[in-house]
Amino acid sequence: MTDDTTLDGYRIAEEPTYHADGDEVAFYDAAYAARLPVMLKGPTGCGKTRFVEHMAWRLGRPLITVSCHEDMTASDLVGRYLLGRDGTHWQDGPLTMAVRYGAICYLDEIVEARQDTTVIIHALTDNRRILPLEKKGELVQAHPDFQLVISYNPGYQSVLKDLKESTKQRFCAMDFGYPDPAIEAAIVAAQAGIAEDQARRLVQIAGKSRNLRGQGLDEGASTRMLIHAGRLMGAGLDLRQACQLALITPITDDADMRLALSAAVDACV
Amino acid sequence: MPVSDLRLGEPATGSPSLSAASRAAFPGDGLAALSAARERLANAGYGGEVPRVFEAAACQVAELHGPETALALGPAASRIAIRAQPRVAALFLDTAVAMARKLDTETFARWLEVMLSLLRPAPAIVLPLLERMDMLIERLGLDMLEAWVATGMRFAANDAERRMAFFRLELPEAQRLLERHAGEDTFQSLERGLRAFHTALWGRMPPLREALPDGKGVAARRTSFAAGVIRMPASFPGHRGREAPLYRAALAHAGAHFAYGHGPFAVGQLKPMQIAVVSLIEDARVEALAMRDMPGLRRVWAPFHVVGPEGVATAPSLFARLAHALFDPDFPVRHGWIEKGVTMFRDHLDRIEDPAVSRHIGNLLGNDLGQTRVQFNARGYVVQPVYRDDNLGLWDFPDDPDQPPPPQEEMEIDSHDLRRSEAAETPGERQQEDRPPDADQPPEALSTRTVDPEAGVTVMHLPEYDPVARVERPEWVTVKEYDPAPGDPSFWHELEERHAGLLMRTEALVRMAQTGRTRRLKRQAEGESLDLDAVISAAIDYRSGRTPDHRLYEGTSPPERSIAVHLLLDMSRSTADRVGSQTVLSLERDAAAILARAMDRLGDPLAITAFASNGRDDLRTVPVKRFPDELGLLSGMALSGLTPGYSTRIGAALRLAGRSVSEVPCHRRLVLLLTDGEPSDVDVPDRDYLVADARRAVHGLSAKNIDTFCIALGSDVGDSVARIFGRTGFIRVERLESLPEKLTALYLRMSG
Repeated sequence: MTDDTTLDGYRIAEEPTYHADGDEVAFYDAAYAARLPVMLKGPTGCGKTRFVEHMAWRLGRPLITVSCHEDMTASDLVGRYLLGRDGTHWQDGPLTMAVRYGAICYLDEIVEARQDTTVIIHALTDNRRILPLEKKGELVQAHPDFQLVISYNPGYQSVLKDLKESTKQRFCAMDFGYPDPAIEAAIVAAQAGIAEDQARRLVQIAGKSRNLRGQGLDEGASTRMLIHAGRLMGAGLDLRQACQLALITPITDDADMRLALSAAVDACV
Repeated sequence: MPVSDLRLGEPATGSPSLSAASRAAFPGDGLAALSAARERLANAGYGGEVPRVFEAAACQVAELHGPETALALGPAASRIAIRAQPRVAALFLDTAVAMARKLDTETFARWLEVMLSLLRPAPAIVLPLLERMDMLIERLGLDMLEAWVATGMRFAANDAERRMAFFRLELPEAQRLLERHAGEDTFQSLERGLRAFHTALWGRMPPLREALPDGKGVAARRTSFAAGVIRMPASFPGHRGREAPLYRAALAHAGAHFAYGHGPFAVGQLKPMQIAVVSLIEDARVEALAMRDMPGLRRVWAPFHVVGPEGVATAPSLFARLAHALFDPDFPVRHGWIEKGVTMFRDHLDRIEDPAVSRHIGNLLGNDLGQTRVQFNARGYVVQPVYRDDNLGLWDFPDDPDQPPPPQEEMEIDSHDLRRSEAAETPGERQQEDRPPDADQPPEALSTRTVDPEAGVTVMHLPEYDPVARVERPEWVTVKEYDPAPGDPSFWHELEERHAGLLMRTEALVRMAQTGRTRRLKRQAEGESLDLDAVISAAIDYRSGRTPDHRLYEGTSPPERSIAVHLLLDMSRSTADRVGSQTVLSLERDAAAILARAMDRLGDPLAITAFASNGRDDLRTVPVKRFPDELGLLSGMALSGLTPGYSTRIGAALRLAGRSVSEVPCHRRLVLLLTDGEPSDVDVPDRDYLVADARRAVHGLSAKNIDTFCIALGSDVGDSVARIFGRTGFIRVERLESLPEKLTALYLRMSG
């Protein structure tokens, strides 16, 4: 197998910082050891992607990430024929590459993809571990190190955008939430390079916005947003300006909600 | 100084000689004209005051807007004197001077016209309007004043007494409409944001209501949170321009009580003064705790602590200063009692989480004050500053029905609010009014207000367009929601029996709609398979040295179903008419049910509301199915429980449906109306009025990208439907028996 060089571009050289909030690292290790596919559930920006990067680094596997979108077709995952100078040639898609050479393939926000797209992973996620390339007439047997990880945000998905039962039941699943306030503050402080007490304020503000989840906001402010706000503070903005720029304005277009959020931020500083 | 008080240096009666001021203001011919106008007024028998005030007013108006405008005051005053009274005419002239100072020449002339235009329909209202004109113009401006006056005239229709009450601002609606026209923020306009603010801060939202005026129509002045329900005043008069911060401050204060208070205090043997002081300390305690967690709350509350360090030693003044001193450590303390309070509060800061602290400090301070000569009048006491609540929620008033009513003094305890003491006549009445309605009931039960199933719950107010006045009146139609009558639980089953064949045909249609929707897309830059035609031409290009087109793929478009429908069912009295063996309403019902099933299969969001109206105060709506509701037993029972009655106010129903459908995230939104008649209502004699309003509603929805479509039932529907919905905006179903079949087919065609 040629996995040692083909996927070098997908290897993670430096350790992606990740603050564990529970047993997730042990869980993932166990799932990988058994080569079981893993599903990460949780709101946007709570650290799912960072966790997968961290685990890929820990396990020393290359990581191929695909952000799913509603126009994504099966060909975008498995590959397609391209026209070359003297005819057509086959180009592996990201999933096929991961399967062939033994990477971790991470399908981010899988429900965004069309349902007919997601069924192609079925044969990969049971004991067969095969990927049929229908157009090419090839059956790819998965590399022993290959693992599939998907992420999925149950929050804003409607009934229409849900995983098929047959897809869901192939995965081990881990629930991700926003970290504990103390841990979250430590994360924000470390990632944004700001003082702990400023980070605690930001986390408190995020808590206010998360109170509004489903009460006017689809999602509260994510850890990612807080890190952005913290970086803006590092660049010289004060807390309120940073929250306005990184948090309130992006999160909603509803004038009432913005006013309420601004007032809540004001109340915290 | 009112002009009528000006000394003009000449006798009051009709002397032809004019003052020096008049000579200066009316050069040349003007003076003769002024003299003649004054002469006419003097000889008309209105008494001496009118001509005298006229001359003085004319002089001042002439200086501001020229002699011509000034002279117009003469005939105007004359008409007012005749239709109303001479003394009203004098007041009018007085007011005209004030208006002349405020308005430019053109606006002033229009103001005169507006005043005169009222003389024919309602001369009596000129007086109350003039008395409040300064305030009205200040708040409304002339355009909005006109709109508000027109609204008031229509509001009271033919009831002269009600009209007077409106223009004297004695009706709460008058006040509310005034605020709305003035564009001031009220509880209603701020409610949504306030809820979000409270939820964000505290992570929960107790029921929030507008405080209703008491029995005498006196509006609440302070927030109150008795029995777990927060009630906020409809408006805070006297705080113009900062309503939003004030409401937020008041709600944040109530929230602090909920977060850091520990259930109500027992009244025990406390005297009213002690109760007031304990409440004050408790206010400061919960605020201190809230500010420890959220320091920014200080900025929310600080602007309302306005009392200065000096003042007379009355209880209200001392209380307000103590409140300020406890809130702001830098507030200079100039009174021994306040100093004692501040010191005690500071000494207890280490165990401030304990509400007993408030009780302890409050008792001692209240005792101290009781021993001085400071009088405390619980009747007249209104908590300061304005954002704080009336303290009703802090106390557990005895509510054992067997107990004899406590002595009056204790009853006064809770009436920290002036309005209550003014309103209640006897201690017993007051007790009933002030006591939380039912302490054992969970707060949510209080909020549902479903005591009488026949009575609707007011859910919103909608505007209406008056084509005659060409104004949109805000909050004109009251939408009331009525619980669906319990109908037939086996409705769906029976529907299947009644329409077996039709349902099967519909199923097939739905299957086609589901599957036949994707389109093949040729010549795509990306796709699942190669587009053979494109590949061949690209290969040709390639070999002949031209740049080939890179769009070589073909694919299928993803299914595009994104439509939400709010179906409105007319259940007015005429739907009781029979068509064959069935009534119009029962046909509407079956049609709606079949459509609902089809949409459910397709996954298209649907809401169904049945409506009728009984005047603008009662747009009767029955929510058969809301968007999030499941289609099932309950919606079937609601559908079969509909009964015909009342009239058809189409415009309001369209606006209502438009609001609800606009909240559904879809590419296409449709309001579908099933009706058998033209718009009509008991309080509108003019049919064109409601037609024009409905037409306006359709335009309004279309501006918001919401489509409207009407299915007119029966052949005797006039041309009004075409006027409302436009020629392509409706279809007529003459053979009513075919409605159930047609409706779904029509929908599938429209949404396909």
